[in-house]
Formats: sequence, structure tokens, C-alpha cells
Amino acid sequence: MGSLADYTEYIELQVTSNFSFLRGASHPEELVQQAAANHQIGQMRQARRNEQPAVALTDRNTLAGIVRAHAEAKKANIRFIPGCRLDLLDGPSLLALPTDKDAYSRLSALLTVGNLRAEKGECHLHREDVYRHSAGMILVLVPPDRLNPVFDYDPDFYAAAREYREAFGSACYLAACRYYRGDDAKQFFRLSALAAGLHLPLVATNDIHYHHPDRRELQDVLTCIREKCTIREAGFRLHQNAERYMKPVAEMQRLFRQYPDAIARTREIAEACRFSLDSLKYIYPEEITTEGRTPMEELTHLTREGALQLFGERVPPNIEANIRHELAFIEQMNYPAYFLTVYDIVRYARGQGILCQGRGSAANSTVCYCLGITSVDPTKFDLLFERFLSAARNEPPDIDVDFEHERREEVMQYVYGKYGRDRAAIVATVTQVHQKGAIRDVGKVMGLSPDTVDRLAKSVWQYHELLNDERVAEQGLDTHDPHLLKVLDLTRQYIGFPRQLGQHTGGFVITREKLSDLCPILNARMEDRTNIEWNKDDIDVLGFLKIDVLALGMLTCIRKAFDLALRHYGLSWTLANIPQDDPAVYEMVSAADTIGVFQIESRAQQSMLPRLRPKTFYDLVIEVAIVRPGPIQGDMVHPYLRRRNGEEPVSFPSKELEDILGRTLGVPLFQEQAMKIAIVAAGFTPSEADELRRSMATFKAVGQVTRFKRKLINGMTGNGYTPEYAERVFRQIEGFGSYGFPESHAVSFALLVYISAWIKCYYPDVFVCALLNSLPMGFYQPAQLVIDARKHGVVFHPADVNHSQWDNTLEAKADRYFTVRLGFRQIEGVKEEDVLLLVAGRTQPYTTVHALQDAGLPVGCLEKLADADAFRSLGLDRRQALWEVSALADRPIGLFRGTASESAMEMKIALPEMALSEHVIQDYATTSLSLKAHPVQFMRERLRNLGAISAADLPMRRNGQFVKVAGLVLVRQRPGTASGVCFITLEDETGQFNLIVWASLFEQFRKEILGAKVLLAEGHLQIEKGVVHVIVQRCHNLNRLLTGLTPAAVDEGEQASLFPEARNFK
Amino acid sequence: MTIRRPALRDIAFVLAVPDHGRKVITGVNSIARNEGIDSGMAVADARVLYPTLEVIDEPPGLAARLLRALAVWCIRYSPVTAIDAPDGLLLETTGCDHLWGGEEAYLTQILYRLRANGYDVRGGMADTIGAAWAVARYSMSARGSGQGASIVPRGQATAAMLELPPAALRLAPDLVDRLQKLGLIRIGPVVRIQRRALQRRLGPELLLRLDQAFGIEEEPLLPVQPVLPYHERLPCLEPIGTTGGVAIGLERLLDMLCGRLQRDGKGLREAVFKAWRIDGRLMQAQIGTNRGSNHAPHLFRLFEEKIRGFEPGPGIELFTIDAPKTEDVSPLQKTLWTGACGPDDPRLSELVDRISNKLGAGLIHRYLPAEHYWPERAYAPARGFDDAPASVWPSDRPRPIRLLSIPERIEVAAPIPDYPPMHFRHHNTLHKIVRADGPERIEQEWWIDRAQHRDYYVVEDETGARYWLFRSGHYTGDHSNQWYLHGFFS
Repeated sequence: MGSLADYTEYIELQVTSNFSFLRGASHPEELVQQAAANHQIGQMRQARRNEQPAVALTDRNTLAGIVRAHAEAKKANIRFIPGCRLDLLDGPSLLALPTDKDAYSRLSALLTVGNLRAEKGECHLHREDVYRHSAGMILVLVPPDRLNPVFDYDPDFYAAAREYREAFGSACYLAACRYYRGDDAKQFFRLSALAAGLHLPLVATNDIHYHHPDRRELQDVLTCIREKCTIREAGFRLHQNAERYMKPVAEMQRLFRQYPDAIARTREIAEACRFSLDSLKYIYPEEITTEGRTPMEELTHLTREGALQLFGERVPPNIEANIRHELAFIEQMNYPAYFLTVYDIVRYARGQGILCQGRGSAANSTVCYCLGITSVDPTKFDLLFERFLSAARNEPPDIDVDFEHERREEVMQYVYGKYGRDRAAIVATVTQVHQKGAIRDVGKVMGLSPDTVDRLAKSVWQYHELLNDERVAEQGLDTHDPHLLKVLDLTRQYIGFPRQLGQHTGGFVITREKLSDLCPILNARMEDRTNIEWNKDDIDVLGFLKIDVLALGMLTCIRKAFDLALRHYGLSWTLANIPQDDPAVYEMVSAADTIGVFQIESRAQQSMLPRLRPKTFYDLVIEVAIVRPGPIQGDMVHPYLRRRNGEEPVSFPSKELEDILGRTLGVPLFQEQAMKIAIVAAGFTPSEADELRRSMATFKAVGQVTRFKRKLINGMTGNGYTPEYAERVFRQIEGFGSYGFPESHAVSFALLVYISAWIKCYYPDVFVCALLNSLPMGFYQPAQLVIDARKHGVVFHPADVNHSQWDNTLEAKADRYFTVRLGFRQIEGVKEEDVLLLVAGRTQPYTTVHALQDAGLPVGCLEKLADADAFRSLGLDRRQALWEVSALADRPIGLFRGTASESAMEMKIALPEMALSEHVIQDYATTSLSLKAHPVQFMRERLRNLGAISAADLPMRRNGQFVKVAGLVLVRQRPGTASGVCFITLEDETGQFNLIVWASLFEQFRKEILGAKVLLAEGHLQIEKGVVHVIVQRCHNLNRLLTGLTPAAVDEGEQASLFPEARNFK
Repeated sequence: MTIRRPALRDIAFVLAVPDHGRKVITGVNSIARNEGIDSGMAVADARVLYPTLEVIDEPPGLAARLLRALAVWCIRYSPVTAIDAPDGLLLETTGCDHLWGGEEAYLTQILYRLRANGYDVRGGMADTIGAAWAVARYSMSARGSGQGASIVPRGQATAAMLELPPAALRLAPDLVDRLQKLGLIRIGPVVRIQRRALQRRLGPELLLRLDQAFGIEEEPLLPVQPVLPYHERLPCLEPIGTTGGVAIGLERLLDMLCGRLQRDGKGLREAVFKAWRIDGRLMQAQIGTNRGSNHAPHLFRLFEEKIRGFEPGPGIELFTIDAPKTEDVSPLQKTLWTGACGPDDPRLSELVDRISNKLGAGLIHRYLPAEHYWPERAYAPARGFDDAPASVWPSDRPRPIRLLSIPERIEVAAPIPDYPPMHFRHHNTLHKIVRADGPERIEQEWWIDRAQHRDYYVVEDETGARYWLFRSGHYTGDHSNQWYLHGFFS
């Protein structure tokens, strides 16, 4: 073309990515790659230019996508210009491009102002706000994209342009874009007149919405999702052509051939905007130190003190060496303040009596142990500090601490309070569009019937399974239908798009200066929480430090148990003083007697325990890690068990792997091991290995995964490993990506496993009481917890208006243990504030229903109490109590208060007596458990006639024997790892047992399995190392037996509905 | 449903309506019910039980319309027929049943006919509405698979009720629940409790329902009124033998019909006039209007042409007129007849009616904008005179006054890649282009059709005539791009 093209180059300054939700149709990474590719073509033709290519990103009122673009730009060797499109409430939009760090901070502060005054997800900005923050920014005015009927812009726009020009001076530019709408020439004429009149230089843009023209279809679909219409209704809301892509530089130069200056100015602006995110200096806040120490001195001091307490005067030499090594490293990396922060948060929590414990890789640090952040004893475990922090990985430390779930909010508010809301905020989670959501959205837009959309959504079963045609065909849909294919194609493109900025579960970023200088802050959906716009990968890239304040239900339970032990047994327990390595605890665990115990209570864990028979603490660590989808999918479980039981020799594929896999008998079970194999055996660098693990976790990076897979397998086979072994290692890493445990994490969890098991073993009364008070958590319903505790000799009393509190409580000691009084929290529908009134008014025992009403309890609440049979101490059963309560509405009030109501003078009415079975059913309906009896007990006679045997009889039978069993359905589970096999847990009056239903039979008996509350199963018994399963051959729904338990003439369906739904797990 | 879609007869299907983001089942056929699916379940839950369940969206108001239609149909059995929403009909049978040979035969006949039509029905007969309602739904013989009919002999309503559950009393569900909890699972024990105690503890509703069932309290029936169609008849005293007579008959009928339409605030869009000859021949004429009309002279003019062909022959004994399609019209219309001009002027629509009726429908068009960028789809014919455009004609881009329905091929010389052409040849005339604007690039609407995009140019030749040209697709360099003329600006 013209010779001008040789001297100028074009840089995209108006680029919208998919972080402008439902507008941009390309990921920031894709846009950056495309820009780099375009420039490469340009460079080949014009070798003599020496400027570095660049690209900007200007999403709407957000900087959420810039870190990704920044990281990608580094890889693609292109300069990245962070920016933002400011959509104002009272004026035309502006592209804001900061020229330096201060201007960037102002931009971030500006967005923070807009975010905090609006609801989550919106940003309300006015012109005035921009004027106040605009110093150092280049602002490009974006004109309306069409002219009015007299081929001109509206006067408002001219007025705004004039005002902007005055406010921003020479930093203000005017964007011009070829829209291909037929009036480009007219628009350019108007714009150049305006530019000349106001000295507002014209700059070329292409209003990028996608990196490639093929994405136009997806962009249309996004528009429809945004506008909540179908593609057929969308009309002029869509773009009329596909020109909003990144055009080659030469093409842009051709389009602006009459305005070469506009092209040249893109370079001019890009040259002015030298700010890079790399120069963003994250400064960790100073921590308060005592006695004038520096943070490092303070940390050293605290560590020494801690070591003294933990190990006494004579710290073992290897521990001493560890501490010195770690402290030196922390000093070198300048992390002491970070450790002090975590220490301070933990100290605060302890001061408030909130239990906490570090988890994750931080447990590899002796310093963390000395500071009391983690509890993995370095004298007992080989800690590998390098797994936590290493110079090679050059990653900021990441300490995760679990707090009691009920009281974590206190800790979070402490952090906000200590650093202030402008210096502390929670990291964002960018929620991505998942399979089902993508199918629903796209399907709706494309006009598929809701029914078809449902079926499509059903064709994906798991979180990160990709849509595949076979599954779609299974749903009875025609995979050759072009319209459907288009839907699937668009859906695949849409999956993985950011959908909204959520709140990380508890990751805090804190800074010394204002946090808003670094990143915009926004309101979280929850009250009293603020977030930043970046997620944890983003802040990792920039080297920000993050502290995870996480919630763990079991800690709540353990703290409640400690409280109860202190009050009733006078024992003062802590996480540290529970006796270690108690054989009785391991005995109990090996017998799979673990209902309620942290982590190892599930069906899968329970069936593993008798095979593994843990005898030491490290066995618990393995137990925690082994029953995970990662090892299961990687087929690591059985080899490990065989080797442990001596059925298979322990061997190692190579000497180097012996070091890595020695402790786990040659079978990789932990995340670190799998990664180490990649490093040692396949020649990965540590950071590559980590990237590999991460790419597994985010399912959108499918291309990357296959690249790594090739590298791993080639690397391993090159080093003399068999391809099969290499393949297996890859599968393991694949599973670990989302579901694996690092060893140190497993150790931290195993500590809680041991502690909860120990309490259960020695103080089942304390344990069950604390557990019931911490629900909902874990795997089991209150009924199972109560049944289990009774088996261990704990006596329960029912909830009663004269004895119960809100919580379950321990009462007098009955031979070995204290009896447990059920609390009102077990009664569905009773509110805590009503219970407070009840307890406050109970200065002397209630003797009449009226007295409770006088205490201020609403009739509705009394009815619930009556239904729950809580008036026994008044001599009333639930039916009589309800009759009494029903008369309360009629009590004389005001003047007549105190006189007897007419109801009192009624002739006594004999209500029909309730059968025990009826009471049990009602107990389940109100408290989802019954202390009176087990419902199956009342069916036993009929079950016996049907030939069913009880749970207690099962172990007495032979392996392989044909049996019939029946019980209440507790849990149905179809794990993704078990290829369609369904596990069902049933319960009868003697205990629980498990059924296994193969996939084909599941389909055949689907209706029975999913519909039955009481299930009768026939099949063969499988007894292996004390683990009993019934391999199901037939199923029958016995819900009708429930009907027989009450004399009522109600439908069978209604009767069954009184029972809690069985829980379904995947 | 099965009546209209026989394929459904043998499969499990349900009707469902959307409710707070999920779908709730409102109707279940017997096959689905046997699979454990019931009304009130969410569709998703039902699908878990029965994956191939057919789910049909219930058209809003369908059940109510059907019930009303059935009530009207039942008038053949009793003049006093009432709707008992949501799913019942009440018939006052006093004095009717003997026509069918007694109560049993009467009820059996009704149920049989309804079932033959594909409805799943149960019936009961008793002295009171409450008791009939109860036995139809709760008595064992009605619920069983047999006849599904229970008849409570005269004077035995009370006795029949005592064995039934309280739900048979037409009580609110929470009241039924509470009685259940108190162990009062039959009406009998409830009745034995003091009335005052019941009143205080369980409220007045229970007593009212008891009294209604036992006939202590009167309960009125609200009979359905059949919907009267717009139909007029004019029987002739003597057979009409002249065309003049036909015109007079038409005029009278139109007066009668329009009078009624005016009273109801309606106007007709279609009308059928029929003349019944004594030899059995039937002659008819049909007219349509662009806008609802009840203006008799206008309608008469529309018919005038068409009834010329009516041959009275041996004589016409009956004239009828039907207005199958009517719409609401503004009552002000009458005063507007002499009002201002413009599209609201009824004289305009009447003119259009006359021309269309004379020359055939579809000759006069009116177009409305359709929201499409693709020019061939950017307009749509209006359906009626009052059809308002959903959007405005886009004013920000030039569109030709005359658009060719099929673009015509032209030969063009144009610089590459997307500059306007220099001249073009159309119908063997060479047009030299002196001015041009463009391109306007319009992509094909990919969800409708796959084709190349078009680059449109507005061009002016040396005579000052302006044309709308386009090139199909990107310039490829091998002269394979086609150019077309798509419209004229002047």
C-alpha cells in the first residue's frame, strides 16, 4: 500500500475480552496471542523497525483480566498495556490507559470508588470521578457507533467532547473505528471535523470483541444471553457483521489510509504508556513487633520461644538445623512479616478460644510448627521445607489455616479490623461457565425446547467431563442435526468463559499501602466482605502474599468436645495433649467403627479400613490420602494394599524413585510424589511439574494437558521406564490435579482424624454431643450418630420442655458415661430465639402448657414442640399436648387474664391412643430420629415372612451365600470413579450394611432404588477381610410396609415422606 | 391430551408448568402414576424415577377451559351444571335422573360417555354437594377400579360420611394434617366431639364443611352459562325468490348482528352469510375485513358483490349469518366515522376492504419493519390494519425506495479489495458511477442461512440515478465474486 505504512505501526488500544462479561468473546490470552501473531507477520515484512509490538486490554469498568493478559504477553514476547474502558453513568465512554504506576493506582482507585458505591457486579462512575483521578492517564473518547438521521452525532456528544478536552487537556484523544456500516466515510468526516475543532487527535481503533472472525457467532450468542432473548428475537441488538476481530496491521493501515495520523497515534499512545504490571510493587504490611525488634528479630524470637516450649531446653540437633535453615531462607526472601501476620491471626483465634490448625504445604515448616500455626511434629515426620517454599519455584508462601466453621467470621472480621478495609480484602474466584450452564445458556438462545436443553445438560454428568457426542446420542438426540451440532460447537467454545467474580473461600490479601492502589476492590455478595478483582493465580503471578482463613466443621466439633470435657469430666484437652498412638484407638479404627470420625467415616473409607488396618499415625495419613479419586483412578490402591499385606514384593522401578516412593512401598499416593516423579523420571523442571498439576485442575487447558502428557511419557520412556508405568503416572497426576492430597495436608488432616477417633473411642458421650451440636457436617444423619453412640453405651434422653437446652447437653452420669439430653436444635422448625425465651422462663419446672405460653412462646412453636413429643414431663404425649396447645389460641386475655378458659371446663376428650410405631414415625418426622425404637423393628415380622435377615445376622453367613436384606435407605452413592456402580447403605434395627449395585442392574432397578425409603435387596454376600457387602441382584420397594405402621387412612406416599430423604452422593 | 395425540395413549406422560425456575407436574396419566409419579413433583425428580418420561408444557388455562367445556357438555344431563374448580363438576340432578332410568343408570351413562372420550373420571351422587364430593373421591367403590360410581341413597348422607377420612370434607390441607396428628382419621370420631370444642380448637371451617355435608347448611350452585356465538338466523315466512329479497335478508341480518356486536363492544373480522334453499342447496358468501367492524352499511357493501351470484331458484327458506372471528373495538369508533384522515380513519380501512374483496386478497400490501440486517428479511407484511410495528424502521442507514425481491446480476469494474465500483452494466446499459458510498458489510444471519456476506454500495451514475449494488463475499482476486443490483433510490 502507501509508503506511510512502512514508518508507522498499528497497536490495538480498544480491546474487549470475555472479562467484560457477555460482551467479549475471546479470552485475554487469545487476544494477546493473536496480537503477537499479527505483529509477527508485520515484522517479517518490515524487518527494519525496531519498536517492540504491544497490545492493550480495555474491559468495561474492570481490570479483572489484565493479569492473565500480562502473563500471556510475557510468554508471547509482546508488550502489554493494561487499561480499562470507563462506562460512565453521565457521559460517553472513555478508554483509560495509565502511563505510569501512579496513574495506574489512580485508575484502580477510581474503579474501587465506582464498585463500592454499587451492588456487586456493577460499577457506578460519573464524569466528576474521572476528572479527579485522571492525572497521568491517556483518555480516549469513544464516540457513539452510529450517526443520527441527519448524519451527525447528537449535540450531547459534542458538548461532552468539549468538556473532556478541557478536563484532560492534551491527554485526551478521539477514537475512530471502521464499523463497515455504510456510513464510515460520513462518521470519519464528522470525527475529523471534531478533532480539528477541539484539537482532539484522532486515533484508530477496531473496537475488538474477539480475536478471530469465527468467534462472531459466539459473540452473538453472548449478546443474546445478556439481553435474555433468543437468537431469532435478537434483531439489531447483534452486530451486523464480523469486523470486530483483530485485523492484520496492514489491513488496519489500509482502512485508515486517509487518516495515517490516526494509525501513527496508536504507537504514540503505546509509547507513552510504559506502565507494566511488573513494576507493581507489592509491599507486605509491617507487623507490630515488641521491644523494638525488626520483624526478622521478632520472628526469630517467637520461633525460639516456641521451640523452647515444645522441645524444652535441649532442642534436637536436626530440629535446630531446620529452624536455622528456614529462618535464613525466610530472611533471604524477606517473608518474616508474612509469618508474623499468620502468627498474629492464629494468636488472636486462640485468645478467643477458636480452634485452628494449619493445613496444606505449610505443615512442612518447622518454624510454622514452633509458632503454633501447624501441628505436624517435625521430630516424628520428615518435613520437607522445600515443598512449602523453595527458591527454585520462587513462589510466595501460602499458609492455609483452618478455623472452626461457626466462628471463622470472627477471625475474618479481625483481619479486616486490624488492617482496615482499604488494606485487606478477599481474593476473587473467577467462576467459569461450566458444562451444564453453558449448555443451558446456549441452548436457550438457540431456541431449543426446555426439554431438549434438559437432556443435553444431563448428557454431562460430571464437573469437568467434556461434552461428547456419544452421551448426547444416549439422550435420544440426533447428533447429525446441524442445528444441534452448532449448539454443541458454540457450547464448547463458551465453556471456561469467566462468568462472574466470586469470593474465594477465605484467601486474604493484605498490603502496607492502600490495596486499591494495586487492584480495584469490590463489594462481595456477603455482608461485610470486600474482594479484589483478581483470583489466586493472578496474585501468584504478581507475587502477592495470600493468607487462607478457611473453615472446617470438625474443628467446631472438637472445640465443643473440649468444652464438654472440661465442664463434665474436668479434663482440659488441647489439640496437642491428646495421648498419642493409643492402640485402642487404632483397634477401633481398624474395625471400621468410625461413624462421625473426621474424613474416615464414609462408606469407601470404612470398607478400606479393615483392609489397611492402620496401626501407626502414618497409616492414618495414608488412609486419608488413599481413598481419593486420584489414587483410585490411577489404580494405586490395590498395589499398595497387596504390598502392605506382603502379597506382592515391594519393588521400585528405579533407584531414584526409591527415595521418592520408599515410605509408600513404591506406590505413589501423594501429590508431591507424582510431581517428583515427573521431575526426576521425566526431566520436568519443578515449575513445569507444578504447571502440569495446575493445568489439570482447570479443564479448559485441554491442549496443554496433551502437550504435557507427551512430554511426560516421552521423558519417562527415554529414561528407561516402561510406557505402561509412564501412562499410569500420568493418570495419577491427572487425578491429583483436582482431587489429590499433598502429604503434609494429609498429615494435618490425619491429626484431626486421630483426635476425633480418640474422643469417640474414650468419650463417646462427649463426642456424639459435640458432633450433634456441630451439624450439618460429615456423612451421617443425626439418627445414625445416635444409634452408633447408643451401641457404645451412651444413654439418650428425648428433648423435653423441662430439661432441654437449644444444644444437646450432657446430664447426669449413668454408669460409664454421661447421658445425653437431646436439644431443641434437633427439632425441625423450632427457632433458637424461642428456645431462649423458654429457657429464660424456666425458673421452675413448667407444669402446664399455659405456662409456656406465658413465657412468651408463640403457639406455632408450642405446636412444633408438641409434635416432637417434648411435653412428656408434663405427663402429656404428643397428641394430648397438641390438643392442649390447640386450645391456647382461645385463652382469655386482657381483663379476663387468669380466669379459666372455656376449654378448661370441657368434658375430657379421649383421643385415640397412639401406637408405638406411630410415635416412632412422628419422631422421625419432627426430629429425624427416634429414641423409642427403630422403624424397621415394626416390620420385622413381615420382613421375616419375606425371608429377609437382619444386619446383625449378616456376618454369621458364609461368603457367597444368597441373602435377602431390607432396611431404611440412608445413602445412595454413585462415585464418578466407579463407572456407574451404585453403593447403597441400608439400616435396620440392628445396624447398617452396604449394597453394591452394578451399573446394568442399576438401570433395571432404577425406580426401586431411587424411589424406595425401605428397600428389600436380594443378592450374594461378599465377605472380604471383615468387610461385608451384598452384591445386589434384585430390588424391591417396600415403602408400603411403612403404611402399616399407622392406622391412618393416608396414602403410602405421604407416609414415606415423613422420613428424611436419603442422601445422594456422587 | 390423548384425544388429540393418540401416540400418548401408551406412554407415561405428564403435564407441567414452570414454577420458580423449576417445572412442577400438574397432571399425570395413569401409566406415569404407576411409576410413582404424582402431581406436585418437580419434573427433574420425576425424571430420576422414569428417565423417558414425556413432559408436556401445560398451556396456561387449559385445564380451566377444558373443565368449562365439559360443564357445558354436561348441560345435556342437567340444566344446572356448575364448575367445581380445579377438577370437579357439580350437577343438580333432581328431576333429571328418571329420564335415564334411575340414578344408577344416569350416573353410569354420564361416566361412560366421559370415559369414552378419554377422560379419567369418578362420580358420586348424594343428597348434598358435600357428600357427593366426598363419595366421588373417597368412597371405596369410587376409588376402586370398578365402576367408579358411588351413590348414597336418599337420607343416608351422614352415615356414608362417617367412615371417610376428614380430607373428604373439603378442608384446607393443614387442617387435614392436624386432624391426622390428633388421631382423628375418620369423620366419625370428629363428629362425636363437642361442637364448641371443635369450633375453638379447630376453627369454624370444619363445622361449616360438616354442616354442608350433612345438609344442615345450604350450599348454592353457580351454573355455567353457555357462551353465545355470534350467529343470527332469519327464517322466511314465504320462500324468497328474488335477488332483491336476498339483499333485504342480508341487510336485516347485518343489522341484528351489528346491533349485538356494538352492545358487546366487538367488531367482526370475518363473516359468512348463508342462504338455505328449499331444494336443499346452500349458497354462501364470505368476507373479511382489515380491522374489526360493526358498521352494517360497510359490511353490506362488502357482501354486495358476492351475493350477486346467489340464485334463489325455487326459493330460499332461511338466511343465516355467522361471525366466526371478532375482535374488541374501541367504542369511540362510531364518532370517528366522520373524523380526521390518516391511518386511523375507518374510511381508509373500509376502502381497503372493498378493494381487497373485489380484486382478491393479497393485492394490497402493507409492510412493517422486521429486525433483520439482511435486506430480504428486513421487512414483513402486516397482518391487519392495526398491526403496529414492533420496532421502527432504522433511519441511520440508506435503504432503497424499491428493493428487488431477487437481486439482479450485473457486470462491474471495481478496484480491489473493497472500494466502490467504477461502472456497471445492467440490462445492457452501461452506467458510469460518479459518486459512491460504502461499503456496508452485512453478514449472513448464521442461524438462518449460510452464505457469503455482502458489501453494499450506494452509487450514482452520470444521469443522477442512484442504485444499491452489492458484491457477494470478499474480493478473492480470481473474478469469481458476483455483483448484483438490489434496489433503486429514485
